[in-house]
Amino acid sequence: MLEKTLQLSVNGLMAGAVLAVPAIGLTMIYAVLRFVNFAVAAHMAVGAFAGYMLNAWLGLPATAAVLGAFIAAGAIGIATDHVALRPLRGHRALTLAIASIALNIMVESTIRFFFGGGPRDYSIPLRRDWRFGFLHVGPQQVENAAIAMVAMALLFAFVMLTTTGKAMRAVADNPMLADSKGIDPDAMARIAVGIGMGLAGIGGMLVGLDTSIDPLVGFRTILSVFAAAVVGGLGSIPGAVVGGLTIGLSEELSLLMLPATYKSAVGFLAILLVLTLRPRGLLGVKAA
Amino acid sequence: MSLARSSITRRRALMTGTAAIAAPFVLPASSWAQGGPIKIAGLVSLTGSGSPFGPNSRQAHQAVVDEVNAAGGLLGRKIEYLAEDDQTNAEAGIRAARKLIDVDKVQAIMSVWASAVGTAVLPLCWENKVMMLAISAADSLALLPHQGYFVRTQPHTELQGKEFGRIALALGAKNFYCMMPQTPFTETTFKAIRETAEPKGVKVTTVIFDGKKNSFRSEIDEMMRASPDVLMMGGYQAENIVMAKDLFRANFKGKVVGFAFGMTPGFIDGAGKEAAEAMYGCAEPAPAGGSAAYAYLKKLVKKDTLDTYMCQAYDHVNLAILSMAKGKDGTGTTIKDNIRKIANNDSAIKVDNALDGLRAIAEGKEIKYAGASGPCKFSDIGNIIEVAFRTTQVKDGKLVEVKI
Repeated sequence: MLEKTLQLSVNGLMAGAVLAVPAIGLTMIYAVLRFVNFAVAAHMAVGAFAGYMLNAWLGLPATAAVLGAFIAAGAIGIATDHVALRPLRGHRALTLAIASIALNIMVESTIRFFFGGGPRDYSIPLRRDWRFGFLHVGPQQVENAAIAMVAMALLFAFVMLTTTGKAMRAVADNPMLADSKGIDPDAMARIAVGIGMGLAGIGGMLVGLDTSIDPLVGFRTILSVFAAAVVGGLGSIPGAVVGGLTIGLSEELSLLMLPATYKSAVGFLAILLVLTLRPRGLLGVKAA
Repeated sequence: MSLARSSITRRRALMTGTAAIAAPFVLPASSWAQGGPIKIAGLVSLTGSGSPFGPNSRQAHQAVVDEVNAAGGLLGRKIEYLAEDDQTNAEAGIRAARKLIDVDKVQAIMSVWASAVGTAVLPLCWENKVMMLAISAADSLALLPHQGYFVRTQPHTELQGKEFGRIALALGAKNFYCMMPQTPFTETTFKAIRETAEPKGVKVTTVIFDGKKNSFRSEIDEMMRASPDVLMMGGYQAENIVMAKDLFRANFKGKVVGFAFGMTPGFIDGAGKEAAEAMYGCAEPAPAGGSAAYAYLKKLVKKDTLDTYMCQAYDHVNLAILSMAKGKDGTGTTIKDNIRKIANNDSAIKVDNALDGLRAIAEGKEIKYAGASGPCKFSDIGNIIEVAFRTTQVKDGKLVEVKI
């Protein structure tokens, strides 16, 4: 039992580290714009396919293609937000969330139009797992976790150390006060969306590197991503990291008690528990 | 009335006669007999798990309809073929079927591939007297109160489960571990496997996994702890790709069998040659490779090899057209009432394509349609009778038919 629990924990932590990246994207957009942007799912697919083109078609190493995934998903995120969601700013959060679902479907359908619905694979070698006694871990899992940690570290440095990052935090904290200090909320919104969707793109590619990609790669993950953001506290970047790891661990450890077919229910259960017991999430400072 | 005043001359009579013969071939649609076109539809999977097969099914339907229309249509009317993508998804399938039935007024819905879609759409069909000619294999479908508006050419899942049990025994399994996602046919497949393999002393473990997840590492770890000698990897193509990679990473040494619809060339591409090597694709109804219908379809669609679902789609459209011709009416009810008259009548003249069948029916002959997917005989509840399975194996990155 100990062996099984430890192995599931390793799998959960690896999956959680990857999950945390798009969860940060979701929570960052929420922090600045105050609505849950479900189009994160489609932008995970955008990043996954951008990375695929760079890696499988142009021959770039997967680690370099991850940067391309960030840029492509971020740029397309800003463009789609400008066209579809920005005109709705000022409406209720529910209106924007519903609009983001529509946007998500449109972006996914566009990817399907150009790439088809079938699965695609990155041009990376398939490697056997590394074994450490009774535990094992895949080299790709480790690389993915490392890329996720680097992305998160860079984001923390940006948010904590740069003027723009501080301005963004100011807008997230108090938009009116930030506005009175001459911070352009529109510019901050664009940056938040660009970085948030870029992180979603990285998340999509990381998921695909370990499995395969298709236009629904983000759709299949969005429940866990949303659960991670809610558990950590919507709007809290450290919370999204903790939430990602919590959901990753919970989904895998649930196999100790539940049949595998109920794995998806763990995300729903986590959201339900958090909303009932601690609506602001583990690290959130305000009620969501 | 004198001949001199008549407008009919020998030349004009000849021209009129020629025009009458040529009319079905050259006149625009508006010139077809009254009643408008007879509408039939393909509800095929152009996206999602069934996407490797849906486009071929649509091509087979369209090719037959074009051929029949070019030869004068059916009952003096043009056949209009419509195709909708069910996205291998029940919800999208329902929306597409509602459009086909409520708006387009089709009389037959053909080649529904996924059981989940078939299960969702069949009630719409029987309530609207639309015939469903399906691929969907879930046993439960034929047991629904479909009033006869349902036949399928794919062997139902109980037969497929028994085939998996037979293959496990043939491969010498002692510990057979079966993994499938949640589908309408998972339980019946598992039951049939247990009933076939357990009495012969094989330990059978069954696991239903969540096919909507991106990774199955922990599920594979659990399987590895059970140390099976044969594994049933019972997912669709997308799940099998991820699972095959995880099996390779975990260094699984046992034999792997799976549904042939999940072990496609696309699966080999996605999982990689190394991961897919030696895996078996099972429980696939063998197309009637040596049959006249198979040869006819190859020529019609200009392909050298045909997948089993394209063959079934060809049979569906032929059966629908010939049943309506037999009943002299272009409705779903006519198909329902006549399909066994042209499919189960072994003593009649065998036909393998719509044109020959229409000609024979016009001459008052009884026909037996023998298809590209097999003999096409149906039980009272709509299941196919007489099925031959085939098994394939991945050898050096290619699917090769093998005897087990």
